[in-house]
Amino acid sequence: MEGVQGLVQLDALGPGGAFRARNRLTVPDVGGTPVAELSLVPSLYVQRSMAALHRAGTLPADERAAALERAGRIFATATVGGLTPQEYRALVSRCSGLPVAVVTAAAEIVADAAAQARDTTSQARPLGAVDHWNDPSTRQGRAVWTRRGNVFAVHAAGNHPGVHALWLEALALGYRVAVRPSRREPFTPHRLVSALREAGFPDDHVVLLPTDHAVADGVIKGADLAMVYGGDEVMKKYGGHPTVLPQGPGRSKILITGDDWRSHLDVIVDSIGDEGGTACVNATAVFVEGDPAPVAEAIADRLSAIPSLPPQDPKAVLPVQPVKEARAVERCLLRSAEGTTARLGGDGIVDELGDGSAVLRPAVFQLPRGDARQAGIELGFPCVWVAPWSRADGIEPLKNSLVLTAITEDEQLIGQLVDEPTISNVHVGDRPTYWMRPGTPHDGYLAEFLMRTKTVVRD
Amino acid sequence: MSNHSHVDRVLDCPMDETPGARELLEAAMQWHFSPETGSPFWLERAKKLDFDPRADVHTFDDLKLFPNVVNELREVRAEDLIPRGYGSFDDLYGVYESGGTTGAPKRVVCMNDWMERWLTFSQRKLDERGCPRNVNWLALMPDGPHIFGAALREGARRSGGILFTIDMDPRWVKKCIGEGRAEDAGRYAEHLVNQARHLLETQDVGVMITTPPLLERLAQDERLVELINRKVSLIQWGGAHMDADTRHLFRTEVFPGVQLQGAYGSTMILGGSLERVDTTGEDACVFDPLSPYISFSVIDPATGENVPYGERGQVVMNHISKGMLLPNNLERDTAVRMRPPEGQLGDSVAQVAPVASFDDAAVIEGVY
Repeated sequence: MEGVQGLVQLDALGPGGAFRARNRLTVPDVGGTPVAELSLVPSLYVQRSMAALHRAGTLPADERAAALERAGRIFATATVGGLTPQEYRALVSRCSGLPVAVVTAAAEIVADAAAQARDTTSQARPLGAVDHWNDPSTRQGRAVWTRRGNVFAVHAAGNHPGVHALWLEALALGYRVAVRPSRREPFTPHRLVSALREAGFPDDHVVLLPTDHAVADGVIKGADLAMVYGGDEVMKKYGGHPTVLPQGPGRSKILITGDDWRSHLDVIVDSIGDEGGTACVNATAVFVEGDPAPVAEAIADRLSAIPSLPPQDPKAVLPVQPVKEARAVERCLLRSAEGTTARLGGDGIVDELGDGSAVLRPAVFQLPRGDARQAGIELGFPCVWVAPWSRADGIEPLKNSLVLTAITEDEQLIGQLVDEPTISNVHVGDRPTYWMRPGTPHDGYLAEFLMRTKTVVRD
Repeated sequence: MSNHSHVDRVLDCPMDETPGARELLEAAMQWHFSPETGSPFWLERAKKLDFDPRADVHTFDDLKLFPNVVNELREVRAEDLIPRGYGSFDDLYGVYESGGTTGAPKRVVCMNDWMERWLTFSQRKLDERGCPRNVNWLALMPDGPHIFGAALREGARRSGGILFTIDMDPRWVKKCIGEGRAEDAGRYAEHLVNQARHLLETQDVGVMITTPPLLERLAQDERLVELINRKVSLIQWGGAHMDADTRHLFRTEVFPGVQLQGAYGSTMILGGSLERVDTTGEDACVFDPLSPYISFSVIDPATGENVPYGERGQVVMNHISKGMLLPNNLERDTAVRMRPPEGQLGDSVAQVAPVASFDDAAVIEGVY
């Protein structure tokens, strides 16, 4: 089976180098044109790769940090695997339908995260712990921060290149890492793993294992610890699993109290539509104290002005999908929206571009009650449910949020939100839901999961 | 059942002769559909056919006239499957069953003359590959109701080696997996591998016969890989699929000095085919059946027509011998249709795979 002429070849990156499988998946762009071929490896390859990661050593911490920093720069600026940064961004944009400007910004996020991975992880180290057993303080007895395992696996998501910023922290901590890319967008992890290798990580320290669904579990089973992106199904499968960290739905929300919502409209609209509305940190629901109708109308008015453009257009803002998939999303939306008031997108959200792809236009629906089930329905485009909220509702409808932006002066309420275990991040005031900085946790520090302390005392 | 066996010139031809296709088909139709020689099952079933097999079936294409009767083999009495032309149960080698993947097991009868033909074919294929004689065999394969175990026992004996066996019940494994108890299936596999380890450590083993999933399990243990590479000169695999990449890795990385030979068949054809010795260097895994008794065609299930050579389609299997007639059975496998060697009935097949299961069905809700 020979590769189709002109298609980008995304080989598996195993412990013995690149591997071009006979079993290759064609990756099309959103218009359906084949663009790349992704080598899918069988379980035997996965097992052997995971065994090699276990056998491998770990680079010293300084070398890891330096290599990560180099890798970030290579990823963002160099030609990797024959692709210039521009070509890479265009491919991601064409295939994932993500606006090219979002892809460009994400490349910077990944590069920054690589450069700062060591600092970020050290933020998570307990105050009482030191990094190395030979720290002088261990003579008196001291906690030492150590890995819970040596091999870390990631079932990556393809919604946004930025998801690949996180697992770099595992490399910084000395884990060997296996990444199973998403079939939707394998370009980013392929480029990142290639860059890491170019920057000095040996082939048996970080691998890219594209597999079909049936083999995917083997990547997790072969690792000491794993992180898996997915929806409620994944949460159900791995929730409570001590060695798997599920990255579930975002269901990020905004709460706005008081009358002055107009001056915060930018933050609200950006939280919904930034990143093409594809990220877990995009707002899914907005809770309004008082009458939600004018807020919903104002959001709809602003979002409706965004033009429909192909994803690779520098001015594109909205995500694009193959028409068939876009229609499926639309059906799901309209079915879910029964019983609500459409403010935007009630007649549908699909805007066909004529090449087999379609823009997913924003949707704004007003809910009759704060506890309406729709408020938890998260879709991969700018789609928001606007609901009434009153003090009597309390924080109940605000629970289960990756990010909650609370535009309020009510300090007691803020305290309650920060204390709530099912809310992962609280942004107060004019801070959009997507606000993120290296050094602050995204859903807790990854290192909380990857590390533990142990006492070392020396004579 | 009378106590003397009818002899048929064509159906009982010597083991080293191969009847012509038309000759075999016509003789088999006479045999299976004549009241004196046919089985009670087929004689009864013939009443519901809208054609007369003895008058209408002469060519390979004519086999398409038959309906697929395999589902009826779940219930029928085993005795009723034995052609009356055999004189007594003395001619019966055994009754065997399918794996039970698609429901209750289907039952077939294997007569002595057929076992003889299958073993002759199998030995010829092993010799072609240069498989040594007078070495011991280790089988991690299903036995019991499954015909593969019986054929192995005979095969090892005839090639002059001792056969070491390990009990394996594939139905239990399927049950575990079907009930979502993959852990139990894994423990069972480990249990089998531990038994194989002990045999490999203590005994001389020159030929190993197993399934691709178990071979993968064995490959996870470096000590076992070393033992196999040192002792074993041929690994025959069957009973499940092996994709081209896995096969490549086994051949080049895991067991580089060992001959790897695939077997592709089914209980429903009482055997099947063994992998062609690859002289083209194309790394293809092509199966040539024991023609004309066993034959394949690769079709488009939507039209029933053959797909072009080199294209993937679904596999139809036929078995036509004195002991059994099972034509036009659409299997659950897909394969690439290959040109047959000179004189072979039907197609050869390559890159056998399960009917595609579509994974990652579009999940709509959520951002991942």
